[in-house]
Amino acid sequence: MKAFLVAVAAALVLATAASFLLAENQRFAYQAFATSGARVSDPGNNLVGPRWTGDIKDPGQGGHHKAETGS
Amino acid sequence: MRRLTSIALLAATLALAAPAVAQVRAPDGAPNPTASSVNEEMLFKQDPKIHGRISIPNATAANLIQPQGREWRQFRESWLPWIGGLVVLGMLAALGLFYFTRGRIRLEHSEESGKKILRFNAFERFSHWMTASCFIVLSLSGLNYIFGKRLLMPLIGPEAFATLAQYGKYAHIYLAWPFMLGVLFMLVLWVRDNIPGKIDWIWLKQGGGLLGDAHPSAGRFNAGQKMVFWMVVGFGLAMGATGIMMIFPFAATDINGMQIMQVIHSLIGVVFIAGILAHIYIGSLGMEGAYDAMGSGEVDLAWAKVHHDLWVKEQQAKTASGPQLGRGQVPAE
Repeated sequence: MKAFLVAVAAALVLATAASFLLAENQRFAYQAFATSGARVSDPGNNLVGPRWTGDIKDPGQGGHHKAETGS
Repeated sequence: MRRLTSIALLAATLALAAPAVAQVRAPDGAPNPTASSVNEEMLFKQDPKIHGRISIPNATAANLIQPQGREWRQFRESWLPWIGGLVVLGMLAALGLFYFTRGRIRLEHSEESGKKILRFNAFERFSHWMTASCFIVLSLSGLNYIFGKRLLMPLIGPEAFATLAQYGKYAHIYLAWPFMLGVLFMLVLWVRDNIPGKIDWIWLKQGGGLLGDAHPSAGRFNAGQKMVFWMVVGFGLAMGATGIMMIFPFAATDINGMQIMQVIHSLIGVVFIAGILAHIYIGSLGMEGAYDAMGSGEVDLAWAKVHHDLWVKEQQAKTASGPQLGRGQVPAE
């Protein structure tokens, strides 16, 4: 039982370490692929803003409304 | 003269081709202007991929359509769920049938019952359980990739399923590393005792004692255990290699290569799960006394003499020439 518990704890520690190491080598698409001439879906500065949910209640007005409130 | 012949041939070709062009019409008989426009089929005749030029530094995004993607999707959405379902459920059915026909293999009591012999030391058990616990999570999260949206999502709803699948994906990616480490540990620990030999062939010919009452001789690992060992090492390394290719997309191969990696990963994965189900069965429910080997590390001497007689002799010979048991353990004699 002791070996099992230590093994599970070790697996969790190693998995957590792996998550940090992998995150170190990963960048968001808007960071990796944006250039001075092309903006790639930056959630902070895109056209609809960071708080846009995509949930359009009223198709006639919703899109504009969400875009205004989000930016 | 040659020029005149060429012109005549061209005119004849156009005359023959004209009715064919004229026949391309919409169902109501009206001319169809898009019929002669560039279409997907025509583009694929020029190049195996449909791709263009892009202005962001991500060359792979230039690919619009890659025909093998359809074959991969066909496999992923049609073949794989059937193959996976048949392999895993087939193994469960076979184990159930075996249990109800053969029953649990009982411990045979003898005068040595009650005495213990060390079968796996603490580090061996640690390596086994680290690999095993990761494997269980990897299996469940892997099966979720195939069956989750079909079986789980209708039960728990799309939002709960999306959250679960997201955490399942994290678990799959991160626990893969301790799993691979565990496979390497086990390879180093047990490779020496898992080299196939003549005795394994005899064990196999006698059905390993599973089908009758015979108990063929075996060393530390019998032929069945050796098969499980090599399956875990071979499949484990293959799953690791194909998995790494997918964790780091486009690092070593293109989109088609990654699709092939996914096909290999998933096919090996479902066979791996089926194989480990059999291993779990025989190590717990299927054979009395077998679990102790990985539970406490010590097994009943009577059980060991029945199932691993050559190994017991070897251990007792070592004991005779000096202590081989750890602190607090009873010698096997």
